[in-house]
Amino acid sequence: MPDSQPNAVSVTINGTQIEAEAGELVIAAADRNGVHIPRFCYHERMSSVGMCRMCLVEVDTGRGPMLQPSCMISVTDGMIVDTESDQTKRAQEGILEFLLINHPLDCPVCDKGGECPLQDQTVAYGPGESRFIEEKRHYEKPIPISDLVHLDRERCILCDRCTRFADEVAGDPLIQFTERGNETQVLTFPNEPFSSYFSGNTVQICPVGALTAAPYRFKARPWDLEQVESTCTTCSVGCRVAVQSSRNELVRYLGVDIDPVNHGWLCDKGRFDFEAIKSPNRLETPLIRDPNDKDQLIETTWGAALAASADAIKEARSGKIGVIGGSRLTNEDAYAWAKLAGSVIGTNNVDAQLGDGLPGKVVLGLPGATIDEACSADTVLVIGPDLKEELPILHLRLRGAAKKKKVKVVEITPLQTGVSSYAHRSIVCRSGEAAKTLKSLLTSDDELSQEIRSGSVVVILGRSSLAESALPAIEVASVITEELPKAKFLVALRRGNVRGAIDMGLSPGLLPGRVPLENPNDEIKKIWAKVPTVEGLDTAGMLRAAADGQLDVLILVGADPLVDFPDQDLANRGLRGAKFVVAIDNFPTLSVANADVVLPATAYGEKGGTTTNIEGRVSRLAQLVTSPSAARDDWMIASELAWRLGGDLKFSSMEEIWSEIEQVAPSHNGITLEKIWADETRDGILITETSIQLAIEPSGETPVVDGYGLRLISGRKLYDAGTQTSNCASLSALAQDAELRVNPTELERLGIQDGSEVTIISTKATGVAIAIADESIPRGTAVLPFNNPGIRANLFINSELPVTDIRIETR
Amino acid sequence: MGYLDGFKITFGKLFEERVTTEYPKEKREKPDRFHGRHVLNRYEDGMEKCIGCELCAGVCPAKCIYVRGADNPEEAPVSPGERYGFVYEINYLRCIHCDLCVEACPTEAITESKLFEFSFDNRSDAIYTKDELVVDDQGLPQKQPWELWHVGDDLKTSGWMRATASSGNPAYENRVGWSGELGYGVREPERGQQFDESEPQNLDGKDDQD
Repeated sequence: MPDSQPNAVSVTINGTQIEAEAGELVIAAADRNGVHIPRFCYHERMSSVGMCRMCLVEVDTGRGPMLQPSCMISVTDGMIVDTESDQTKRAQEGILEFLLINHPLDCPVCDKGGECPLQDQTVAYGPGESRFIEEKRHYEKPIPISDLVHLDRERCILCDRCTRFADEVAGDPLIQFTERGNETQVLTFPNEPFSSYFSGNTVQICPVGALTAAPYRFKARPWDLEQVESTCTTCSVGCRVAVQSSRNELVRYLGVDIDPVNHGWLCDKGRFDFEAIKSPNRLETPLIRDPNDKDQLIETTWGAALAASADAIKEARSGKIGVIGGSRLTNEDAYAWAKLAGSVIGTNNVDAQLGDGLPGKVVLGLPGATIDEACSADTVLVIGPDLKEELPILHLRLRGAAKKKKVKVVEITPLQTGVSSYAHRSIVCRSGEAAKTLKSLLTSDDELSQEIRSGSVVVILGRSSLAESALPAIEVASVITEELPKAKFLVALRRGNVRGAIDMGLSPGLLPGRVPLENPNDEIKKIWAKVPTVEGLDTAGMLRAAADGQLDVLILVGADPLVDFPDQDLANRGLRGAKFVVAIDNFPTLSVANADVVLPATAYGEKGGTTTNIEGRVSRLAQLVTSPSAARDDWMIASELAWRLGGDLKFSSMEEIWSEIEQVAPSHNGITLEKIWADETRDGILITETSIQLAIEPSGETPVVDGYGLRLISGRKLYDAGTQTSNCASLSALAQDAELRVNPTELERLGIQDGSEVTIISTKATGVAIAIADESIPRGTAVLPFNNPGIRANLFINSELPVTDIRIETR
Repeated sequence: MGYLDGFKITFGKLFEERVTTEYPKEKREKPDRFHGRHVLNRYEDGMEKCIGCELCAGVCPAKCIYVRGADNPEEAPVSPGERYGFVYEINYLRCIHCDLCVEACPTEAITESKLFEFSFDNRSDAIYTKDELVVDDQGLPQKQPWELWHVGDDLKTSGWMRATASSGNPAYENRVGWSGELGYGVREPERGQQFDESEPQNLDGKDDQD
């Protein structure tokens, strides 16, 4: 702390004088100055409770030295702290002896053994021998408190970390202390499991082995783990993770604390989806359509599969080729595919999004905000998907900021979301009409409107429902740029590296480096053999063209339009209409089964590179395990295809690709490999520069729902029937069956019993689902999760319309 | 006598006890703490002692041990407790018989026998699996086709070969601190290094004052 700091105080710790901030905890000041005070309950991201007493140190504030818990007292000027005095040591020995009275010492079978703070601190600060010879306390050994977490109460030292996390940070206070005195124990409430989306964090912060993760149970011991630091790509928040493997198999992810993004937390989906990577369902060899039996895909060689794909591309009419997908890719892979499409094939029919996000030009054209800016703005407007379901760590950060009264969260949503619980105001509007509601709010002289206008505003913008087109969200953007010109945006796109793929030009009308197609920069003209000039089609456009026989080859790069495109009927017609479909994927998805050639790609943890999160923050990925048999990196596949098409992408490693990106992409200029790999850039490098001018076209009115219909609202759940989740043994069971939720009065009106089967009728399809009466659903709407086991919402959605209305009937 | 001195020695040796043996027809007695190949012991009730904690693998300087633990099946538990050794392999092409695994084992599951004569002719035979290492129903090691055994060799299997007493405290020497073993029951403690018959045993580790 520099001397100029007005509230700096001077403290002596172990004889060394240090400067600390007034109000800072002694333990935090010591940490910052390299003095380690042992602790169990103190956690820098949570409030202090002083439960364990392990951090007792001798503190002298002028009245003579006395033992005080350093996590509970703030520094004062002239304070003298001794963390190594005889008194302190005696206290530490005593506390540890007490903590070990009932600790079972089953370290050899405990998953925490070897990395256990209690073990380590007993060795470092303990008395060496115990005088306790009586029988220890016994409880039933491990009891599953949720599908993912086991609790062993014998091992628990009652530090209050898990219970505090569940209450303070996650907002799911589902575990709590029960009983009193010697019987005090952590427990869930009767018949209510600890089903939090963030339960895995309690396992990570547990200072003993009381909470262990079911997916990691007995999988490895700390000393046989190999570890690299990487970035999670399960959603687009980009949390920092430590990826750990044992014997070339991923066994665990741990959250790494970085300030701008995740604060050390991970959601359970991100934490446990490593199981998918070692799934036996992974695609391992290239597949090709059997010439004798058109319904079969048979194994083939890479040579044959690539040759067949290249021939199909060569035979296709010019410009009649489309590339869908790219959010699974690293930035380098995405650039390779953008270059293949643009420079070799010569098309701009590329789209990393599957009609489930916002147009690339809007994403890059809106003034961007960081997560930190959102968490320190005066007002955050949330108009988009349920953050808790789609971007859980962003939800956690926002919740933390709202609870600390740092931001006012105002939400405009068609139905209650995870954000509603901490929102300053949660305004429910009809699906598709957020812009209208927002406009009338901002133009009114409501107190809230004044509050919003008077301070800084960050808008978290996305698609509130996948049954809406992107139009309502774009309208919201246009209202905001008009009414609140200083507002910044955090675009809530969900998929892993979708932002990176857009940055790399996998979006119609864009070139790598956030450059518009109309105005290519000089470097790209120099380096690319040719630069496309005609703006291509987006995914919906490509599928429509393919359905009409206007597209010959469709390349799916980690895309499954049959499941992820909001309009299954169109996706289906598109895939059937295209003459030749090449699918590059990790898993045999529904769309892969419809392809003519299938190429297996390497997955997360099997390749290095970089990824970009929703803020535009580039951070590195690391390779730790090898891929199963014949899978290849996506950029290698692009390179091979280019060569077979008579072109040359001119790179032979991830590093070379990055160097080319650094040259070609103006926004990425100057971000060299050395910078990316430097220790200071663990947090990633934020890229804010963009050459895209935002142009929002005015659009028509949303149609009014008729008296008989219900407006369909469909969002994604954290645990759904998605490819990644359904290939994780531990997570797939957590996906709840799809149910149609409707307001009870609507069911009554239609004479439908709660919990009975109903027929859903839309202009696209008719299907059967269970109807559940739910008070929280606004009247006139029906909610069906987008992709949960049972019935998929994209069966009913018409992507040509701004909103989809359905009718329901008894069966 | 000059040159006949040498013959005197030769002649004298004819009547001394012979030190060479007709190995491999006959084998010499092995020292108590001889380090041969390992066995995985079982409790008297037949349960395996190994809990798959991997401490042996962690301490092994030759990295020749591969262990994986797994959840103990509730209906047919393999070992007492939550966890059991699911995979246990030792590669004898790498093992240097240092016995650190025996030292590290918290349940005395792994000990070494006096058996060391292997004549396997391929590498996979050199990797002993759990089925080969675990003792049979009499508590004796299982003979592998490539091992040279004489009658009675297998009897001298584990024995207590821990070089140090618990916490390194010599006062604990000769005190039985281990559980019973299938086929043997609770083994008698081995003679400690500082063992002296003339002194009374101090088994409580307390000062001799009364």
